[in-house]
Amino acid sequence: MVAKAGRRTKVAARRKAAKIDPLLMAVLSSRLEAIIREMSNTVMKASRSAVIKNARDMSCGLLTYDHRLICVEEAMPIHVSALDLTTRPITELFDDVREGDAFFNNSPYLGVTHHADMTLCTPVFLDGEPLFWTLSRSHHADVGAPEPSTYLPYAAEVYQEGVHFPCVRIQRDYQDIADVVRIGLHKIRVPKIWYGDFKAQVGACRIGERRLKELAKRYGTATVKAFVEEWMDYGKRRAIAAIRQLKAGTYTYQTAHDPVPGVADTGIPIKAVVTIDPRKGKITVDLRDNPDCVPGGINLSEATATGSCLIGVFYNLDPSIPHNAGSASRVKVLLRDGCVVGRPTFPAGTSVATTNVNDRLINAVQCAFSRMGEPFGLAEGGGDFSAGLGVIAGVESRKGRPFPYVNQLCVGLSGGPGLYGHDGWLTYEAPNGGGVLVLDSIEIDESMYPVLLEERRIAKDSMGCGHWNGAPATAGAYRSLSGDMTVAYCSDGDTNVAKGVLKGIAAAPAGNWRRGRNGQTEQLPSFHIAKLKEGEAIIYRSCAGGGYGDPTKREPAAVARDVNRYWLDADRAEPIYKVALKKAANGVDVEVDKARTASLRAG
Amino acid sequence: MCLDIPHALLRKKFPVSVRREFADRRRIAREGTLGYSACIDIGGTFTDLVVHEHGKGLRIFKSPSTPGEFERGFIDVLALAAGHYGHPLRAFLGNLDRLVHGTTVSTNALVEGKVAAVGLICNQGHPDVLTLREAPRKRAFNWKLDFPEPFVPRNRTFEVQGRIDSLGNEVTPLSDKDVRDAVAYLKRCEVQAIAVCLLWSIVNGAHERRVKEIVAAEWPGIPVVISHELNPIPREYRRTISTAIDASLHPIVSAYTGKLEATLRKEGFTNELLIGTCVGGMMPPDEIVRRPIYSVMSGPTLAPIAALNLTKEPDVIVIDMGGTTFDVSAIRDRQLVVTPEAMIGQDMLGIPKVDVRSIGAGGGSIAWVDVGGLLKVGPRSAGARPGPACYGTGGTEPTVTDSNVVLGIIDPDYFLGGRMKLNRGAAERAVRKIADQLGIGLVEAAYAIHTTSNHNMIAAIEDITVNEGIDPRDSYLVSGGGATACHIGEMVNILGLKRFMVPTFAAGLSAYGGLISDVRWEETATLHSDNRAFAVDRVNALVRDLKVRGDAFLARSRIPASKRRYEFSFQGRYEYQSWEIEVPFAFPPRGLKKGDVAKLAASFHLMHERIYTIKDEGEVVEMTTWKVRAIGDIGGAGRQGTQRKAQRTPAKPKSRRKVYIRAKGGMVSLPVFDGGAFGSGVKIAGPAVVEEETTTFLLLPGQTARTDKFGNYLVVCR
Repeated sequence: MVAKAGRRTKVAARRKAAKIDPLLMAVLSSRLEAIIREMSNTVMKASRSAVIKNARDMSCGLLTYDHRLICVEEAMPIHVSALDLTTRPITELFDDVREGDAFFNNSPYLGVTHHADMTLCTPVFLDGEPLFWTLSRSHHADVGAPEPSTYLPYAAEVYQEGVHFPCVRIQRDYQDIADVVRIGLHKIRVPKIWYGDFKAQVGACRIGERRLKELAKRYGTATVKAFVEEWMDYGKRRAIAAIRQLKAGTYTYQTAHDPVPGVADTGIPIKAVVTIDPRKGKITVDLRDNPDCVPGGINLSEATATGSCLIGVFYNLDPSIPHNAGSASRVKVLLRDGCVVGRPTFPAGTSVATTNVNDRLINAVQCAFSRMGEPFGLAEGGGDFSAGLGVIAGVESRKGRPFPYVNQLCVGLSGGPGLYGHDGWLTYEAPNGGGVLVLDSIEIDESMYPVLLEERRIAKDSMGCGHWNGAPATAGAYRSLSGDMTVAYCSDGDTNVAKGVLKGIAAAPAGNWRRGRNGQTEQLPSFHIAKLKEGEAIIYRSCAGGGYGDPTKREPAAVARDVNRYWLDADRAEPIYKVALKKAANGVDVEVDKARTASLRAG
Repeated sequence: MCLDIPHALLRKKFPVSVRREFADRRRIAREGTLGYSACIDIGGTFTDLVVHEHGKGLRIFKSPSTPGEFERGFIDVLALAAGHYGHPLRAFLGNLDRLVHGTTVSTNALVEGKVAAVGLICNQGHPDVLTLREAPRKRAFNWKLDFPEPFVPRNRTFEVQGRIDSLGNEVTPLSDKDVRDAVAYLKRCEVQAIAVCLLWSIVNGAHERRVKEIVAAEWPGIPVVISHELNPIPREYRRTISTAIDASLHPIVSAYTGKLEATLRKEGFTNELLIGTCVGGMMPPDEIVRRPIYSVMSGPTLAPIAALNLTKEPDVIVIDMGGTTFDVSAIRDRQLVVTPEAMIGQDMLGIPKVDVRSIGAGGGSIAWVDVGGLLKVGPRSAGARPGPACYGTGGTEPTVTDSNVVLGIIDPDYFLGGRMKLNRGAAERAVRKIADQLGIGLVEAAYAIHTTSNHNMIAAIEDITVNEGIDPRDSYLVSGGGATACHIGEMVNILGLKRFMVPTFAAGLSAYGGLISDVRWEETATLHSDNRAFAVDRVNALVRDLKVRGDAFLARSRIPASKRRYEFSFQGRYEYQSWEIEVPFAFPPRGLKKGDVAKLAASFHLMHERIYTIKDEGEVVEMTTWKVRAIGDIGGAGRQGTQRKAQRTPAKPKSRRKVYIRAKGGMVSLPVFDGGAFGSGVKIAGPAVVEEETTTFLLLPGQTARTDKFGNYLVVCR
């Protein structure tokens, strides 16, 4: 990266580069990443909602004051891949932005991903001039919707969603504006937890602000400004160089979201048309040929539709490319008004915009690259989200005064897609998350909420097989230890599983079941709020990832390893992989029967 | 050990401090001398010894490590010191009041995967805790990576029925039969140690204790570690991984310390042996054997402690290049950086540790040319055996040390003060292989190896500074390690540092750290309380119990009462937060009073505000775990080195030799100084070579070194 910084064409740019020497470039870019890490750490460690503090369903970012994304590392891709849409309304709506302000926004019609991703932005003034935005986005456990969940697949309009803060000023002179805060305190369940989470976001943005000021003091505002320009340019150059490695052409991939009764009875086909122009170093993603908005909460917002196209593209490029406005400028996204994966028409519901249809969209874009043949592209990754990510609600009455709780668990992540050279990532979560979510600690969940997590294990024989396998699903069961409990979830993948590419095989479906007090189990609907009585348990299996390439080319030792780690039943090794196994000398493990495998594969 | 009987007698009448003094007087009367303290740090290539001669000062000795029979190298270097002080080995050992040891035995075993095979016993339904972890960290857009394998394979993991809930209630009774089946299975798998981690054992440890009983009955002699005894913290992955790592080290560490103690006792050492720990202190061997996980990175952890004593600078980068590895650590604002989330390979360690990062880069690192024709150096090392080609001990592959010989930086006739003759011809033959593959000249190839190695080390320095958002140019640097001073000049130039220090005993920086470090013990216990209904009596009882145990530890370590100190802290959080922060508090001799909870809460609010910029004084503060740290001061802080007389006359070179200087475009004749003869205040301007017995220091053009009163080199770069 340092070496390439010197390769310049324009004279003016060369003069600028001379000011930012390669080490300073490395130091400042790492410094900005470290600032974001510190902001993220503040949100995670100081928040109260399980999904933020444990699962890390939150992101922080830095933008220039003119809305160019500088840095997002360590964040959830879907939160941050179209952040400019979130800050832009501030300067459009306000002409009196000043130091000490903070703006709060969760409106999908004002650039936010969905209503649960409440986002705080603070301007950063250096030497009296507004130069940056620090941004903190957290997925709040509750936003005051009619149901105790933030995912409302049947909420067709915003009027059935939680409270919307349509880009409002919530702090002035570093102090809360009490009447705005009061809206949240009166409309959101467990308001203390909401306010604690909000304060953690304030802490993060203010830490970012303080650190940027220190940075400007240490290096000079002019140097920081020069660095930002150089950094954007560097991102652009890197993206162009990466796109030049791809094959020119237009590639189409279609996948489909599961049926949702009353919303999309036959499912929703999602198509991505990806055009690669290596010569210009440019990629175009066209989503206009897709269905209209559906009467439910699974429509995408503009922020998620735009972000997901970028994500699908960047999953296929060198990961060390900075994800800033410079590199994003090489990807053009074509959206249509009123489209399920476009710009929704107000007041269409978007409460589930970050997961389900969105995950299908990312899959469609990332898989389109596999049309170039090996070694390009990825298989489909397992989508969201079974009861392993369920939103639980009930009343804890074991510790004295009963108190209500609402929170999202994160105990069953989906499996990642296979790709050339690597099996899928096990703790993937879903396409939108980039594998950055943290899996809940069972002990922490059980100490916070009256649940008993009976089981959580890797689900045998669930992964899509291939030359490189998708990752397996996670399966488990939990129940309430204190009265009745509801579990809300939107399990996409029970019907349309994650497919493989280039001869790779599809994964097993997801599913959710209720185990009654008599021990009998029954399968539950895919989009559901389950009402469990005490003594009943919910059983879940997340989605596994699809396979990449021909399974009969898989390394035989890897097949033996899959059996030894209980991911694959020994009986499936021969029919799927053409690998013969035998018991090892200790009588416990299996090993490859090399002679028989050779003859199986020869035939 | 032979002091056991008199000690037992003395214990009845006198406090430890008095007994200690008696022992000293008896010894002094018997031997007629003040005696010594010493620390030995075994590296992959050399065994370093730093001796403090009481009342006189420090001296460093170095001798090749002897892998396979490390204790021979240990005794070799002690014999070298004994010879220097004019004693027979036995008399010298008899005169050692304390011997500290930093060992990489457990780190090496973990890194090389040579630990004991562990079987894990876990709850029914939860066999994948070590695979799933807390979801390993990855960069969001990177998919070109493999999911890491678990520390204990799934087919060495056995689920048993039985479950405790978060309140300590038994949900399902433990199945003795399952445990017996687990033992039978793990026996068949021939595991060498068993780790047991059950959910909520930290609240109710009955099931874990029962498992331990059954294992002991079914398979006597197999080491078994149960999680709530080792590391009583919530979060099952962290507790499980620390338990599994600890179990995997039991056989190795107990064999190691057993052998070491036996050898030392046989040779006449009668006093106290202490082992360096990963929390920046020392422990007696029996304590380390009980909790071997604390010996991870024991040697390198001593280096930042040494640096803390060598300089008063607030922020310091500490580097140490030995024969095999390059270790980097940092001091920030005069504090060692301790991380609760230290990684070893792909896993957390699960216990807090001083943050030291290691890469495979040292004098013994082997240079090679990859398929694309690119020169690479390391991570493979020639180690102590066969060693670099120039050692003439069987090595033929080109190493960094060989390149330094070819470049003239190292004088083959003055390695280790001339005690070890190096073979220049062998070095040239080895480096020639690289020159031929790259199609360049011999000297160019040697420089390519030298500078590639420098860049590898710079990347490691950047990892702990730049990647943490710290500009290395804002820090001071202390350069330790026998091989570092050949490289430091170019490294600081590339990094843009303006000042650094090469201590006179740089070659034994960690060993020096061991001589000045404290004896340390820390332990936590879980007790959930809050500031609404503060369980003052239970907290007092628990903290007192920890303090009594810490005190017993210091007594076993023979620290007099006047030299003992205690630090207390709790882990606190606001209600519904799940990540705690550590808050120190004062524990009065008579314990906390009910009203003191307001002080605890106030300290928590303050700390929360300091870390996260926000506080919420109306909120409930929960306290979850309590920690006591027992510290024994061995008087190390005063051990500074040997005072040197001021030297007013300019230093005269002892010789000249040709050394490759990149800035001058080739081999140039440089003055060579004998650093051992320097007084204080001597100024040397680069380019020049300064030789000490255990290190060679190449000063580049523009760098000026001045000796301080202990003979340390303080360098300023133009």
